[in-house]
Amino acid sequence: MDATVLGAWVATGLTLFIFSFLYKDNPLFKLAEHLYVGVSVGYTIVKAYDTVIVHLIIKPIFEQGQISLLIPVAIGLLMLTRYMPKAAWMSRYAFAFIVGLGSGLAIPRTISSFILKQVEDTVRPLLSQAGEGVTFSMSLLNPASNLNAIIILIGVSSVLFYFFFSIEHSGPGKVVARTGIVFLMIAFGAAFGYTVMARMSLLIGRLTDLIEFSDASYGHPTLWLLIVTVAALVLLARRRQQEPPAAP
Amino acid sequence: MAFAERMLKIDRRIIFLVIGLCTLLPLLYPVGLPIKISPEVRSVYDYMESLPERSVFLLSIDFDPASKPELHPQAIALLRHAFRKDLRVVAMTLWVSGTGMADQLLTQVAKEMGKENGKDYVFLGWSPGGTAVIINMGQDLYTAFPSDYGGKPTKGIPVLEGVHSLKDVAYAISLGAGNPGVEAWYVFGKDKYKFELGGGCTGVIAPGLYPLLRSGQINGLIGGLRGAAEYESLIGQKGRAVAGMDAQSATHAAIIVLVAICNIFYFSLRSMARG
Amino acid sequence: MIFLRRQLPLLITMITGLLFAGQYYVPHPASELLLTSATKWLQIIGGFALVLGVTSLFHQHAAKIRRKEAGWGYSLVLYAGMLVTIAVGIWASGKESIDGAMTLFGWIYSFMMVPLQGTMFAILAFYIASAAYRSFRARSREAAVLLIAAVIVMMGRVPLGEYLVPLSGDVSQWILNVLNASVRRAILIGVSLGAIALSFKIIFGVERSYLGGSKE
Repeated sequence: MDATVLGAWVATGLTLFIFSFLYKDNPLFKLAEHLYVGVSVGYTIVKAYDTVIVHLIIKPIFEQGQISLLIPVAIGLLMLTRYMPKAAWMSRYAFAFIVGLGSGLAIPRTISSFILKQVEDTVRPLLSQAGEGVTFSMSLLNPASNLNAIIILIGVSSVLFYFFFSIEHSGPGKVVARTGIVFLMIAFGAAFGYTVMARMSLLIGRLTDLIEFSDASYGHPTLWLLIVTVAALVLLARRRQQEPPAAP
Repeated sequence: MAFAERMLKIDRRIIFLVIGLCTLLPLLYPVGLPIKISPEVRSVYDYMESLPERSVFLLSIDFDPASKPELHPQAIALLRHAFRKDLRVVAMTLWVSGTGMADQLLTQVAKEMGKENGKDYVFLGWSPGGTAVIINMGQDLYTAFPSDYGGKPTKGIPVLEGVHSLKDVAYAISLGAGNPGVEAWYVFGKDKYKFELGGGCTGVIAPGLYPLLRSGQINGLIGGLRGAAEYESLIGQKGRAVAGMDAQSATHAAIIVLVAICNIFYFSLRSMARG
Repeated sequence: MIFLRRQLPLLITMITGLLFAGQYYVPHPASELLLTSATKWLQIIGGFALVLGVTSLFHQHAAKIRRKEAGWGYSLVLYAGMLVTIAVGIWASGKESIDGAMTLFGWIYSFMMVPLQGTMFAILAFYIASAAYRSFRARSREAAVLLIAAVIVMMGRVPLGEYLVPLSGDVSQWILNVLNASVRRAILIGVSLGAIALSFKIIFGVERSYLGGSKE
């Protein structure tokens, strides 16, 4: 049998087993779920071995003589001692190095990208407007217009103020905080709309694959396996009904 | 129990059935409504169009099979465009479980467009370390990836001629489903190495990337399946994304109707309780 | 001994943290070489970290099989799947296709892993619909605002919505590019400030949980 046709049957079967969870949790779903975890972990291990051990360690050290790479190998091995109770303290050196390195790399880059650049872009459109003087673009549709720049400034400052819980939100502060909440609700609504869009797209993708595999060239696996899955679910439900109730 | 209360407690499998039908029927019987192009997708297209022949285009396929329906069509459309413009394509991934998928899609589009591995494109593969890989590529590409996915040494590959690091990349696009993704490529990549960066992402993280779009830190954003459909329309080669748009319309309509119904019942129950 | 077990790791964190935070501002070639080497090392260490994440899974399911707890058959399926994939993968030298022909490893990836992972996440679509029906009610003014924004964006991002109500497309663009962008910007700034504060706390040894709990 052609590998692709067999593959189409296996893929369709596993897809339908997982979809059967929508009706009820059942052994078919559990089988597919555990198989998924096993295969994913196996794949990750193979890739980690091939990329890291063969291409990043063995080849450079033995074929190109980069002995200095033995140091990160040693650090990596130290990290693995975390699971040995007696030697676990040695893993602290590895974690200290990694965490220190990661924090050190991240700090200046985060400050530059997410704080300075973002604040700059909030303030700059207003400064250029002050320089030019009279022109004030009112277009709501153009995100770069001056009206929108002011709205963005109000949004950013009111939301930042709302999250300042160490100051009491009373008086004028209350108005600012409430504005922040309104902005937040609109943003969360947009986020919800996009999340719905994303989840539906995932389903559309899977069903497109199922429809593609229902083609005659594969032997109509979708239809046959749908019948098999439903029959299996009915049989399993019957068997559970016939089992004697558990002793008290 | 009042009718409204019964309807609010309806078995959720009925809702599952409604969603299932709303997705399946438009896929089997498409209508083909027109798709409006948004400015953020158009920016990516226009920038790609402006690149001269043989410019280096870096595509980072940072997603796994879980996000395949949304980002795979984006990758295919971008690659078709890049190959049509005769750009030098350098592809890679930061997500281990996406490696096989990335390799397969690159090979598929390259074969379709008649492009040669090593001369017109190269797949660097995956490397652990996430953001460390980006920094390392910015320092020296050949240290980060000493060999390509097929095991060939990267030094000396014709397509990488004149490329030492990310500074020599004309345009980089990261198709991200989370972390590491578009944000990591900016923070650890563009911030220091100053290449032009565009983004593609799933619908879940798209709203969070708008601040970067507004500040010009990314020059365009292709969001979700809708973004992929827009890009496919722009390059004139409709694929899976456009085909899925009718089902998207139907499911959104279904959700809006469900939410409207649920609120009508809720308010009628509330007024019954008060009156 | 206390120095070796507690103080030295903290010292290492502080030195590496300050060194690489400062490296960003030093353009000298030696500093660039330091960055290249350090990130190369991180790539290799990252590979070991992957293995670490997987070991706990091994133990959990191995224990289940050994003790023959309820559902141990499924743990056996998990182990079988994992071992077969590893064996096949190593035999194919980690390649999904050799000279254009799909290997058995590639077959397992394309026809088992991809559909399984894709479907696990696709069923979320059903749950978001039923959750929206059960709980998305306009209980207060703020919830109503959230609801209206969500409906506008859901309509404006599909061809049907733009066809029926052309304004919804423009309004949802405005919501995303102006209102949503401003809120996300504020959240980004706030979260980044928090992350930097945490990074400084780690570097100066105030925050020590990453070392792993123990009596010392």
